[in-house]
Amino acid sequence: MTGGTMTDDPTTGEHLSGGPTTGGGLVRGIALVTRHEFRVRLRTGRWRWLLGAWVAVIAVFTGLLHSALAVTETEPGIPLFGGLMLFVLALVLIISPALTAQSINGDRERGTLATLQVTRLSAAQIALGKLLAGWGVGLTALVLTVPFVGWAMLQGGVGGLRALVVMVVVALLIGVVCAVSQALSALVARSITSALLSYVTVFALTVGTLVAFGLALPLTAEKVQQSTFDGQEYTTSRVRTERVWWLLAPNPFAVLADAAPRLPRPVDPYTGQPEPVPFDPLGEVGHEVRRLRVPSTPGGPEAPVPVPETESGPVWPYGLAFDLLLGVGAGWLTVRRLRTPARTLAKGVRVA
Amino acid sequence: MGAPRLAGGRYDRRVDGEVQTLPDHEYGVLARGVTRRFGSVEALRGLDLTVPYGRVTALVGPNGAGKTTLLLVLATLLRPDAGEVRVAGLDPAVHPDQVRASMGWMPDVFGVYDQLTVREYLAFFADAYLLGRSRAGERVRSLLGQVHLDEYADRPVHVLSRGQKQRLALARALVHEPRVLLLDEPASGLDPRSRIELRDLLRGLAEAGTAVLVSSHILTELEEIADRIVFVADGRTVAEHEIGDLAARTATGWRVRATDPVALHAALERHGVAAGEANGSGTELPPMSEDEAADLLAALVAEGVRVVTFAPIGSHLESAYLAMAQERR
Repeated sequence: MTGGTMTDDPTTGEHLSGGPTTGGGLVRGIALVTRHEFRVRLRTGRWRWLLGAWVAVIAVFTGLLHSALAVTETEPGIPLFGGLMLFVLALVLIISPALTAQSINGDRERGTLATLQVTRLSAAQIALGKLLAGWGVGLTALVLTVPFVGWAMLQGGVGGLRALVVMVVVALLIGVVCAVSQALSALVARSITSALLSYVTVFALTVGTLVAFGLALPLTAEKVQQSTFDGQEYTTSRVRTERVWWLLAPNPFAVLADAAPRLPRPVDPYTGQPEPVPFDPLGEVGHEVRRLRVPSTPGGPEAPVPVPETESGPVWPYGLAFDLLLGVGAGWLTVRRLRTPARTLAKGVRVA
Repeated sequence: MGAPRLAGGRYDRRVDGEVQTLPDHEYGVLARGVTRRFGSVEALRGLDLTVPYGRVTALVGPNGAGKTTLLLVLATLLRPDAGEVRVAGLDPAVHPDQVRASMGWMPDVFGVYDQLTVREYLAFFADAYLLGRSRAGERVRSLLGQVHLDEYADRPVHVLSRGQKQRLALARALVHEPRVLLLDEPASGLDPRSRIELRDLLRGLAEAGTAVLVSSHILTELEEIADRIVFVADGRTVAEHEIGDLAARTATGWRVRATDPVALHAALERHGVAAGEANGSGTELPPMSEDEAADLLAALVAEGVRVVTFAPIGSHLESAYLAMAQERR
């Protein structure tokens, strides 16, 4: 049965055309791994139940938020959309680590990774294929929230661009968390450890950035000489938020809120006077984050009150760039870990 | 006791240096002085191995001898610290992809995708080996027949027994018709009939020109499967032998039974053979080579002892293995 292969040139061993790393071959290999992972996942878990529960949670939240807002707000569309998206972001940050936390070491534990590595599939194809499969599940969950987002949009006030940008940012953040989680699963031998570390990472991005900012802020404080109008000198201190704002930038909530395009300020068509702004959770958070970049004016009883409208350029490009770099770096690390023949092995890792 | 001399097989390169003078592509696998350590543990300490095309070579050694590590090196998964390795004529550390195209590997411990059907499982690996649609379908069909899993083709993998999974893994290793086949403990978990089928399958592959390397503990099986045998211990090659030579040169114990035990014992005593205690299955004789045993049997029969059975105890391979282990102690 192997008689046919004996006629191949024995010095090269190459009897198949097209390497796996060339052009279309790369994509085909990634697609093969992704399809395969999807199929295996679909048949393992109770996906129908999980996704059903997901939709139910989103539906209940949207319903409750809507009825609450209907009491207080005249225009519930904007806060409903903002609240819903922040809630969805929180939920996807909780589920995303689980999507890829066992991607590599789980396969190793089950003894299916090495047999995949000895095929013609490259390390990059295996890593990216598996990442796309995990990310795909996260995106499926996100797509299931579209009806509720649409419903919020029907309440008025939220444009298509804003909804699109917010959805894209959430989608990217899911990918980042999946990539980091996958890298951890490639680095750590036991899947339970890597799952835990993935949650620690998400915690660091969300709560950790806030804590770091809060702790760094007092360190920026400096003494300022002030004088009252009658010439008496006194010393006060001020914090320089513009020196540490970047600690908050990677926070997924800050990125999401700040990336959402600002709402136009409503103006009374007759008087030209600005009308009261509807409550906008995304805009509020974004506004607060941008204000941190503005050099603060010395505080004091006689100091002019800072104009609330003062804000700097956007913060989200830095935060999103940082998060995306984190994701790309994690992907690179995963590929490196999967590359064979392996020179070094992580502690406790068995090749096969 | 007469320890067999293990060195000096026809393929033992340290005796005649034949390997060095032959071009690489004569051999499916060539390994020279391969070393590999894991932290402070030296798994391979200069291992030599030759696996010619068209033959089945057995890799035998105690647990921890480095068999699995060596197979991982050959299977392009592990980089050796030092030494030269050629698989299908190429260095697996430099050209892993080309080596993978012509090398099939079955690990000792492995998992299967329980959720897939047997056919889907093989079809996935056919794709992963870039076989192309039409060839893949044909390969999957013929492999299912070869490993006798046709009737399970559309059943999920998790319903298979351990032995059936072992056969499925073998089919996976063969999916791209490799010219070099590396099997780590393939017979473990197989029932006697499956072992005979495995033997026939491997013999068939070797006859078709494949270089087959089998690591195993089940020595009696290897004697029927393998043409050549490589003993390894402590990460080093102890000896390489032709199975045929091994039987002729290795002294094993023998067991003889005659209709009249008293006459048998008297005859053995006349010939100066230190016979052991007689029991129901016969009298045990000390280690002898095949020639010596044949001479003794002829003499006994000539003297009128009615011999019913006269057979080696255990296998030659087992005896050679135990002798090797003894020497190293």
